Amino acid sequence: MNELPDPRGPTYRLPSPPPPDPTGWHALRRRARSTLWPPRAPAWAALLAIAVAAAGLRGLWFQATLPGRLPAATDWQAVAGLLSRDARPGDAVALAPPWAERGRAALPDRIPSRPDAPLPVLALPSYAAQAEDLAGIRRVWLVALPRAPGGPGRAAEELAARASTVDGPIRIGRIELTRYDLREPSLPAWSLSGRLGDAVVTGGSATREVREVAGLPRTCAVLRPDGAAPIVLRLPPARLGSVLRVHAGPVGDGTGAGPFVVRLLVDGVEVGRLPGGAPAWSPARIDAARLSPGEHAVSVEATVAGPAPVPTCVELEALP
Amino acid sequence: MTARRYLPLAWAATVLLAAAVTSPGVGISRDEAVYVEAGASYARFWREAARDPSRALALADRYYAPNHEHPGLAKGLFGLSRTILHDATGILGEVQASRVVAWLLAAFLAALLALWGCELAGPLGGAIAPALFLAVPGNAWHAHVAALDLPVTALVLGTTYAWWRSTSASRGWLSTAGWAMAAGLLFGAALSTKHNAWLLPPVLLGAWVLGSFRGRQESHGPAAEGAIGTVRGHRFPWAIVAMAVIGPAVLVATWPWIWHHTIPRLQGWLAFHLHHENHPWMYLGRMLREPPFPVAYPLVVTSLTVPAAIGVAMIGGVAQSVSRIVSAWRGRAPGVSVPTEWLLLLSAILPIALVAWPTVPRFGGAKHWMPALPFLALLGARALVTVGRVLWPARPGAVTGALAALALAPAAWQVAHVHPFGTAAWNELAGGAAGAASLGMQRQFWGDATVAVLPALNEHATPDARVWFQETPPLAVRQYQREGRLRGDLVPAAGPEDADLSIWQYHQEFRDREFRTWTELRTVRPVAGAYLDEVPLVQVYARPGAWR
Repeated sequence: MNELPDPRGPTYRLPSPPPPDPTGWHALRRRARSTLWPPRAPAWAALLAIAVAAAGLRGLWFQATLPGRLPAATDWQAVAGLLSRDARPGDAVALAPPWAERGRAALPDRIPSRPDAPLPVLALPSYAAQAEDLAGIRRVWLVALPRAPGGPGRAAEELAARASTVDGPIRIGRIELTRYDLREPSLPAWSLSGRLGDAVVTGGSATREVREVAGLPRTCAVLRPDGAAPIVLRLPPARLGSVLRVHAGPVGDGTGAGPFVVRLLVDGVEVGRLPGGAPAWSPARIDAARLSPGEHAVSVEATVAGPAPVPTCVELEALP
Repeated sequence: MTARRYLPLAWAATVLLAAAVTSPGVGISRDEAVYVEAGASYARFWREAARDPSRALALADRYYAPNHEHPGLAKGLFGLSRTILHDATGILGEVQASRVVAWLLAAFLAALLALWGCELAGPLGGAIAPALFLAVPGNAWHAHVAALDLPVTALVLGTTYAWWRSTSASRGWLSTAGWAMAAGLLFGAALSTKHNAWLLPPVLLGAWVLGSFRGRQESHGPAAEGAIGTVRGHRFPWAIVAMAVIGPAVLVATWPWIWHHTIPRLQGWLAFHLHHENHPWMYLGRMLREPPFPVAYPLVVTSLTVPAAIGVAMIGGVAQSVSRIVSAWRGRAPGVSVPTEWLLLLSAILPIALVAWPTVPRFGGAKHWMPALPFLALLGARALVTVGRVLWPARPGAVTGALAALALAPAAWQVAHVHPFGTAAWNELAGGAAGAASLGMQRQFWGDATVAVLPALNEHATPDARVWFQETPPLAVRQYQREGRLRGDLVPAAGPEDADLSIWQYHQEFRDREFRTWTELRTVRPVAGAYLDEVPLVQVYARPGAWR
């Protein structure tokens, strides 16, 4: 069927005007699109050549600059010398990033002027107050590798957030050293692992050890019950301070760990309970200020379930 | 023609020489220690079989009991090499003598890549393809050790090449039947080396079936004589018949362990690998223990271990292969061999895709999909050659050569830099070993890095010190001692409790061992260590008085 011609003549439509393009962005986009699609061999070949060349040059730059981003042996020696001179009891060293554990070999593990005072070297993923108590530490020396691939992480910010004074950083070769004086240092009056020698243990054995809990080193009393019955540690009476802080977790990476329950008893009365089982350093805080002043007998009771119970790492600290 | 003849030989000679020169620096890995001992036992069987076949047959179980999780060929060859070069002639130490087979197979792999590269992309392709494979630090490291991953990779490549030639119009040195037989024999050898080879028939058949779909590309008529990879026609892959017959025959013939109780032992072998335990493994800050595992794992690990420029060339090669298939389907590329493209593409992708399956165990770094790498290298080499031809047709070699140099220079630098710590190598995208440690990737595996602290141990350990070697098994300790690399008076200890010295090899999954060492040895300060880019790989702890 043929349509009759329009007596007014044919209708013409003008093309819509191009969108305003003052910056030239649309024109650039059109040109890029027409270059890339439909794909033409030279365009793709050039793209691949540019990508290979860029990646190759980046690789060469990385290999060439890598030694200059990492500390030399003399840098470590200089830091060790400075720490030997300036560290004092209650200090600790924090390594950032945490894999920089050459620091354990290069830095002093004791304060030279006070050989009885250890200088702990920490390599923790976080120094935030919620993550780490930093028990017994007043000042932290942060040994950071600022230009190392991957960077030093958030240690500086986390320590600064809980510090009253920040001294540094000073640059020693490719290492940065900063001292953080903790605003509210956590200084326990006593700890379970420290008083383990005085404890009476029934239903198993308990030893003071450094063990892995959830990937990190924890100094604690490692409890190994004889069977399904609870293992009980009875400490001689002592002052409790204002807060009792408990941590517990299965030793190792959590493989095979069953559920456990740690009960804290003061004068035979349960004041706190910490159920767990996951590979974590589970915390609990017990308000001891509500107890009568004076000395109290503290007991720790742990029950570990499972056919082959994993030892449990328990630490109890009395905070003044 | 000259390049096709001499490039493979030149590559083989170079690889053999380089491996022989640099191998003594590479430590004995956990698996290697087992394979070397197993190989010695297997060699004793064959010596016995030559003297008294019936007695040997009766004792086959005893000789082949060590490490019957893997078939006998490669380990048997390690043993044969050790018998000749160590036991009989004393030319090399027992471990180095066993490793010669791995060096030879690495040389074979390089030669084959050069040959195939020549055939796909001309002499430049043949020159570049082996370099793209061997400049990956993990691959270079595997070219040294008497383990099974590089041997099976070489034999998978060999089988695939023979298959390709058997389905091609150009027969080369052999007839179609000859190439098919070669494919069968090489498949048998691969099967008798490691179970990865079971993946080959599906890949090869899949490529053949997919290759039959040509879209608008002419598909009628016989294959043109002289063309490799059959542009026209689609030959039946007789190699599959040879593989089905010869492959299992070689497996049985070279593995006397399955001469008795054949079916149950074969079932046990398959069951072991189908239900392989999941070793813990660090991946982006997570400890992978149980499935389902991240699907992206092999892609992420590949992209962080293959030097970036080489990885880009390989990705370009994969894209080029896909585009050639699509162009052929559209009838725009009459000269493209679709079956060849599928063969290269599937061989490059499927080993990685298989490991991506969420229930496949994740451990051993990139070695479990190493058979994909030669094909990625071939595709990458062809892509670089194509770029040269397209961008500067008058001087294609200049462009390709410059790009290859840019891709290979940082990689070669890294290979030299990380030597001998190949299992701890991470590329510049990861930030090297340091960046990978920050990312929370597996730091190393197989316990070979201990070799770096042996000189310090020899110099400073007190006489008769008891040493807890941890990831370095007692077999490897005895091998080090027999080769004179470790003092003979040092005694392996079972744990930190009865150790004077502790060799902590950083593994997050065994972190408690280091902390137990601190407790038992009453120190947190290492006395020696091996570091890669400041990242500790091995640290030695000593009980007070045990380190002079």
